Amino acid sequence: MKKGMQIVLCVTLLSSLTFASEQFAMSDADRAMYEELLENNPADMMLAEGSEFLDELGGESALAKYLGVSEDALPSYIAGFPRYIEKFKMVVSIDQMLQGMMHDSGQKPYALKSSEMFNMSSYVKALANDEEINIDVNANKHMKEAYALGKVVFETKRGARGLSCLSCHNPSVIGGILRTQPLPDISAKGNASAATWPAYRMTKSALATLQKRFQGCMNNALLAVIPLGSKEMTALEVYFTDEAKGATIALPGLKR
Amino acid sequence: MQRRDFLRNLGVGAAGAVILPSVSFAADAPKPKGSNVLSYKDALKAVTGGKTAEVSAKVNLKVPEIAENGAVVPVTVEIDYPMTDSNYVKAIHVLTEKNANSRCIDVHLSPANGKAMLATRVKLGETQEIVAIAELSNGTFLMASQSVKVTIGGCG
Amino acid sequence: MAKRKSLIKIKPKSYKDGEVVKVSFMVMHPMETGLRKDKKTKELIPAEYIKKVVFEYKGKVITTMNVWETLSVNPVFTTYMKIDGAGELKVIFTDSKGEVQETVAKIKPKG
Ligand code: HEC
Repeated sequence: MKKGMQIVLCVTLLSSLTFASEQFAMSDADRAMYEELLENNPADMMLAEGSEFLDELGGESALAKYLGVSEDALPSYIAGFPRYIEKFKMVVSIDQMLQGMMHDSGQKPYALKSSEMFNMSSYVKALANDEEINIDVNANKHMKEAYALGKVVFETKRGARGLSCLSCHNPSVIGGILRTQPLPDISAKGNASAATWPAYRMTKSALATLQKRFQGCMNNALLAVIPLGSKEMTALEVYFTDEAKGATIALPGLKR
Repeated sequence: MQRRDFLRNLGVGAAGAVILPSVSFAADAPKPKGSNVLSYKDALKAVTGGKTAEVSAKVNLKVPEIAENGAVVPVTVEIDYPMTDSNYVKAIHVLTEKNANSRCIDVHLSPANGKAMLATRVKLGETQEIVAIAELSNGTFLMASQSVKVTIGGCG
Repeated sequence: MAKRKSLIKIKPKSYKDGEVVKVSFMVMHPMETGLRKDKKTKELIPAEYIKKVVFEYKGKVITTMNVWETLSVNPVFTTYMKIDGAGELKVIFTDSKGEVQETVAKIKPKG
């Protein structure tokens, strides 16, 4: 598809935010069909590669040791990211933690936006499959601060259109249709978004992490794009992940 | 580091509903065609050798009514027919009505498959019919078709 | 050309002789139609797509697929196969540039 055209369409269709339109609503049979797609998610190949990268660092046992937890406790520990980690003196997402691990084992860390890092961090988050998201935003003052900052980032209207994440992601617009796409319920009661990312994006034929997906919305809504791994971005992930707290992690996801 | 700038526009945005100007754009230019152009009619003829393919409930074609994304449209075809050495489904063909190249895939099966089924994902440029054809070992052809609505989307 | 990432999945994971199982083959392949333009150079990206996929079980061809550029990027191919003893399942694809690659899975029926 022609990209220039696509961008024009995005902007045009933003104007056609209509609610409760049944016209494009998916039937249950269609949803079942897409659930079948999950069975053979192309992202499985990317996670398989990510697992090889982790093996080069010593695999899950080395990761558990690095994080100071037993191998048995590793999945549930991972289900609590982003976390404040004393060693780093800051709240980090899985990818940043892996950068630390690579650095400490004498390797040059993968860039946050590299496909190597996407694949490896996605594999690591998938180790927490079937666990419930157990992020604790009250664990310490750092997490409290990150949550508060994340909420500000989520709710602050900015950019040429004066939009915030909340403008499109709030309980009263869920199900509204924007550019043929229903506005998703991102909370644990809805599609529990944070538990389904990283995901394979069919529009990009690529694996995307939650932070990368945030950047997609920032681009579409004409908000200046916040860099991966920045304090604000990690805070946004903290806030967003807390919205889906208690939801069962099922990775890799598959998204339009 | 310009970190603080990310939130520079704090509070500047207009409150209220999302109302944006609508932008009009010129009609799409004629689509270029690839080297594998083959119309549905010609592709069908190539598959059946000119024989008629009968519409049959034995060909169970599953596609979404509405494609979330035209670039990845799941297609499943299951043929309700034996797979014995003397009587089996020789092939499953998937065609589209309007893609410049109507052909998607031909799957040549053998009794060793045990059951005649194919699942894959196709690209659809626009709303159209997907057609599945089963070629049986006795030389007859059965078919089924279903329409898929392709929404625009594609950005984001 | 580095080997393209590929995967064979068999469902269910554990199976017996004589059982009919689902086999999926997926590969990271751009499935370029030849109609897409490079964002930077504005030139058409040459066609590059899988043309043929052959499933070979214990040295015998069981399924052959002719494929066109109209299949999705990073394609997935799923069919059934009847388990008939231990051995190798090889999936060999050929693309329009003549690249050939083989993926192997070990078939080990339990009982
Ligand atoms: C103009 C409206 C709009 C704004 C503003 C917006 N989004 Fe979105 N967002 C959408 C739509 C529409 C979708 C669903 C699109 C799709 O299905 O591809 C979506 C999807 C998402 C998803 C994926 C949900 C899922 O799991 O399927 C995430 C995550 C997300 N948005 C986060 C954000 C964040 C964070 C912000 C603020 C930086 C934001 N969005 C701002 C409209 C918006």
